[in-house]
Amino acid sequence: VSSSFVFSSESVTEGHPDKLCDQISDAIVDAFLHQDPLSVITAECAVSTGILFIAARFASEATVDVPGLARQVIRDVGYEDEAFNARTCSVMTSLVEVPRGQRPLVPETELGDEEIERIPAADQVTVFGFACRHTPALMPMPIWLAHRLARRLDEMRRSGKLPWLGADGKTQVAIEFDARRPRRVHGIGLQASQAVAGEPPLARLRDELLEQVVRPVLGEAEVPSDAHTRFFVNPAGAVVLGGPALHSGLTGRKTSVDTYGEYGRHSGAALSGKDPLRIDRVGAYGARYAAKNVVAAGLAEECEVQLTYSLGLAGPVSVQVESYGTGRVPDAEIARRVREAFDFRLGGMVRAFDLRLLPRRGGGHFYRRLAVYGQVGRSDLELPWERTDRGDALG
Amino acid sequence: MPLPQDAVAVEPVHARVPGRVRLKVAGLRGAPRLQRRLEEALPGRGIRAVSASTRTGNVLVHFDCSLPLDDVIAAVARLARAAPGAEQAAFLAAPAAPEAAPCPGSPPFHVCEADEILAGLGSCAQRGLSSAEAAARRARFGANTLPRAEARPPLAILVEQLRTLPVAMLTASAAVSLLTGGLADALVIGGVVLLNAGIGYATESQAERTIRTLGRFAPPRAVVVRDGAPRLVDAEDVVPGDVLALSPGTGVAADARLLRARRLSTDESTLTGESMPVRKDPAPLDREEVPLGDRANMVYRGTLVTGGSGLAVAVATGRATEIGRIQRLVGEARPPETPSQAQLRRLGNQLVWGGGLVCASMFGVGALRGLGLLEMARSAVSLAVAALPEGLPTVATTTLALGVRELRRRKVLVRHIDAVETLGSLEVLCLDKTGTITRNQMRAVALFCEDRRLTVEDGKIGGAPGAGKERSALRALLETMALCNEAELERRDGELEVRGSPTERALVELARDAGLDVLALRGAWPLQSLDYRSDRRNYMKSLHAAGDGRRLVCVKGNPLEVLAMCRRVQRGEHAEPLVEADRVAVETENGRMAGEALRVLGVAFAERESAAAEDGLVWLGLVGLADPARDGIRELLALLHGAGIETAMVTGDQSATAYAVARSIELAREGQLEILDSTHMERVPPEVLSALAQRVRIFSRVSPAHKLEIVQALQRAGRVVAMTGDGVNDGPALRAADIGIAMGAGGSEIARDVADVVLEEDELGVLVDAIRQGRAIHENTRKAIHFLLSTNLSEILVMVAGIGTGLGQPLSPLQLLWLNLMTDVLPGLGLAVEPPEPDVLRHPPRDPREPLLRRSDFARIAAEAGLLGAGTLGAFAAARRLGGPPTRASTVAFMTLTVGQLLHAISCRSAQHSIFRRGLAPLNPTLKLAVGGSLAAQLATPWVPGLRRMLGLAPFGVRDALLVAAGAGLPLLVAEGLKLAGVWRGPQAAPPPTGGTS
Repeated sequence: VSSSFVFSSESVTEGHPDKLCDQISDAIVDAFLHQDPLSVITAECAVSTGILFIAARFASEATVDVPGLARQVIRDVGYEDEAFNARTCSVMTSLVEVPRGQRPLVPETELGDEEIERIPAADQVTVFGFACRHTPALMPMPIWLAHRLARRLDEMRRSGKLPWLGADGKTQVAIEFDARRPRRVHGIGLQASQAVAGEPPLARLRDELLEQVVRPVLGEAEVPSDAHTRFFVNPAGAVVLGGPALHSGLTGRKTSVDTYGEYGRHSGAALSGKDPLRIDRVGAYGARYAAKNVVAAGLAEECEVQLTYSLGLAGPVSVQVESYGTGRVPDAEIARRVREAFDFRLGGMVRAFDLRLLPRRGGGHFYRRLAVYGQVGRSDLELPWERTDRGDALG
Repeated sequence: MPLPQDAVAVEPVHARVPGRVRLKVAGLRGAPRLQRRLEEALPGRGIRAVSASTRTGNVLVHFDCSLPLDDVIAAVARLARAAPGAEQAAFLAAPAAPEAAPCPGSPPFHVCEADEILAGLGSCAQRGLSSAEAAARRARFGANTLPRAEARPPLAILVEQLRTLPVAMLTASAAVSLLTGGLADALVIGGVVLLNAGIGYATESQAERTIRTLGRFAPPRAVVVRDGAPRLVDAEDVVPGDVLALSPGTGVAADARLLRARRLSTDESTLTGESMPVRKDPAPLDREEVPLGDRANMVYRGTLVTGGSGLAVAVATGRATEIGRIQRLVGEARPPETPSQAQLRRLGNQLVWGGGLVCASMFGVGALRGLGLLEMARSAVSLAVAALPEGLPTVATTTLALGVRELRRRKVLVRHIDAVETLGSLEVLCLDKTGTITRNQMRAVALFCEDRRLTVEDGKIGGAPGAGKERSALRALLETMALCNEAELERRDGELEVRGSPTERALVELARDAGLDVLALRGAWPLQSLDYRSDRRNYMKSLHAAGDGRRLVCVKGNPLEVLAMCRRVQRGEHAEPLVEADRVAVETENGRMAGEALRVLGVAFAERESAAAEDGLVWLGLVGLADPARDGIRELLALLHGAGIETAMVTGDQSATAYAVARSIELAREGQLEILDSTHMERVPPEVLSALAQRVRIFSRVSPAHKLEIVQALQRAGRVVAMTGDGVNDGPALRAADIGIAMGAGGSEIARDVADVVLEEDELGVLVDAIRQGRAIHENTRKAIHFLLSTNLSEILVMVAGIGTGLGQPLSPLQLLWLNLMTDVLPGLGLAVEPPEPDVLRHPPRDPREPLLRRSDFARIAAEAGLLGAGTLGAFAAARRLGGPPTRASTVAFMTLTVGQLLHAISCRSAQHSIFRRGLAPLNPTLKLAVGGSLAAQLATPWVPGLRRMLGLAPFGVRDALLVAAGAGLPLLVAEGLKLAGVWRGPQAAPPPTGGTS
């Protein structure tokens, strides 16, 4: 039996409508936590042609100009075309203020273990964390490269090197694997939008993107591409304008882009737009933290940590580890060590990662940055769940 | 010259469909004459149909496909350009059109150099116009005034009263009576008609007069440069080319291009709705397509100078000004027919048909039975009069007029009489934030000084730690605020008058109210220099020097920026080092105040021997200002919500401020609050906007022009919408709303002119009275109609049954007319002035599409008419059986029916509350008088010889009295019993659909 297979993952640029929604949702979370780190806040967005819908539930001392913030994000992302831009789009905001009593009184960092134990998960949820040795950040190769391409697209647009490039774009990377190790780049797909039809013509657009975006990224890639590697740039023809003028967007629809590009499992719940007391968001970070440390400690080449939470309990009811046969010790043993080395209780993770104060430290920007190019495996940000500092505890 | 000869630009907007093109014609907006010209002169030679809109400035042309598109465009352009007096037309070179648009229209003055414009207008910045030239131009261009909205002439009001179908029918009846020899009948009928029309005319013309007297102010004046010297003239004498001298607190007399400005700012809220003053600058702009509010080098008629000074040359006067254009635009928005108009018209028509039918059929039956034709004709006409609720127009008009008068007593002026009734079916109330919900006055409401939060109420600082003490931190804070301040002070009659922007004024007033002698303070520390806030620097810094050489640096502005410059903090008499804990405390408090939607300023100062480096300021404190919501708004909203009326706030503010205000006044009925933040509402597809608008409670960053879109979106969703407004730009929305509410005291003339309701005092509380009144009026109209229809139907039943069954004619024609006079108008009027039932504001508004009378109402009316008729016929039959002359039985029938109907009026007071239970107010005096008086008159008829003869009555005995009591009393008891048993409750109690508020 040949153990060779092809696996592809996709990423999108910051102007993709779904990601735009994610960024607005997380910018709202940032703004609330920046003013009041104890805020309870959930924000969701949807965007279509000329209207942005925002629904926010909160209990907070903060006052946030939610539509103004949304416009700021749209402006930052770079939508300036006539069909959709920060100035002329309409923003429909639905605000629900829940009683302030539901807002925590003390940050988790000032709580003892007893009190942490009394913070229950408010959801019945299974979350996953994954890590593997494909890349230095211990991320799967397909999503890693897809993010690099998406980032490169945005950089070329922002720096003005490809001035015609629109904010909306999508990248796909297919990697050929052998025995679960990446062997070669099987194919690259790019979907790039442009402001004006025919500028540049499709052929030149393809050339420039291959030259300026794909080649530099593949040149630095940890996996080789070859003469058989296939490239697709706007295979269905030019995409003019793109963005919300072309297709609508919704918060939480790109969870695989946020995580492992489907290479590892991920929970269906959205990550963006949620405050630190939401177990579906924080649990995903905690699981990644554990999985990454397991791989970094050399316990396995590949590791998926599964945490299942039940309503009303502080910690997970189940901690499972899957190493796909790459473990140095049995999976059950890894799971046991993980359980001992990590505090997976909701409050414990908020405390360990200091999730409430991160936006304040970043001058009001933290979660919003997570909303593009992945919430895990980020080498450009210092994310607490990307630290590999628990090797000793894992033995 | 900046204006080329062929300035009329025509460009295609939409030309995809062959044979059809939509063209944008510059200058068509607000130019009805151009519109007419295009529509009349274009068709022919291949052009089939033309439709021009002065609202959009677009022309839709249908033409033969064989005609080249370019030819069509050329034809439109030729016509738009060539005709004399095109509003867009020319400068002084053009001949003055005789009647309208006398001055230069709207060439893009904001992109031209000031000198060019001066040259074009033949004026000069230093010398202005000569008196002679000004007089000549005044004669040529006419007065610089805006046309007032036309008042309805008295005759039109009178004709409107008479032009109803029931009146026509009654007049016809009178004519028939006259022809058949019934002079008395004709006179009675004619009297009824004249009475109705008279009451209607009197009430409506009185309302019209009251409105007319509103809003007449002393004529405004303006300072212009004439013959090289400033001169105060009446604003209406300002002509194009006049150089206006602008100073704070004065209005701008004409649209004018700035020549020079010193820190000039104007309040353009009447024009743009932007409540913050706009800074003006004479530099030409580089783009032509700039919204009015951003044309920084133009000032506009109707706006107010709030600060600084400047010179400007008038480029447009009178109707040619922007404000004049808007006024013309307003003329085109049409109000929808109010619910009462539509329903009374429908009901009236139905009744006319019904009356005619009854008339004819009774005549037919009588003729078949061999009764005399002439006698039957008189009876038929009398019955027609009886069947027609001729009291209806009177009762409805009176109800409304009384409501109008009642409201006027509470300083609510109703411009259209039916507006009161529409108020009763009001479903959505859109409120302006600034000026309506709030007072549009900045006030200091909080201070943070010496680590303490101090609240300010009515100018008094709560818990002040020794404001009067020399050298306390609070004192220094107040002094610094008063010194580092642009507001101008003037002592007038011992009172210190403060002029300047709202924020600056609020700060000085706070210091003044705390007991500081601000004038003396400014005298002791004369201002040496003042650095304004700029884009990069969010604070204002002033330098002062005392006589003894000491210098004072005062700074106020963005709290964080000011704090960053401080090294020390004032505590009591001493400045102590500013430590990290102090900074955190200030930042936290700053965040808190911002969270309460306050405008927060930080204040710091430094006293030093010389003007040294600017670091090392001493922190004094924070001051939080707000434009607070009026007292009682929250309770008012709660009342409205209880009455099922949704409220929405319209504001140009950003969402956070709007949200804080909305929260403080509990704008939303449930916890959820929807905000639509849109500066370009016209881009939202109409159907989407309609769907959204129903849920939205805050429309933020909205310009007044968008109010029209909001109103229309809600109306498309089938809502009855009220909109408040005071600015000039609110006109179209006020006009289009089902109820346009103008805020009187500070509002513009145009808003008052187009509104349906004017609140003379800017207090919204009276609106609830108005709504209560509106609902009561609707209910009372229903009660009166209910009464009129059931009693009139009972008459028909009695007559038809009597003749049909061969019992004989129970009532003579004159008895019928007398009955009508007794039991129609007067008790109807009594019911019309019933006070509102106690629970009138506790149920949702009625559906305006619902007919005045529902199907179930007709069943009830028929049932009650049946009861009345049965009682009368029973008494009639019993009296006949008991013997005596035929007139005796007829007398019993006549008495029974009349008394029964009068008693029925008492039953009609409430649809639900029966007389067996308490809970209803006692009989109102009018009803008491009407019912009591009519009863007395009726009971007197057999004893007054003249009346007895005319009505043909027989003597009346105890036996007859008992029959009458039974025949008249039983129907009342049965009707009330049915009410108590809840027979009629079903359809009545079911709440009308409110359209889903979730």
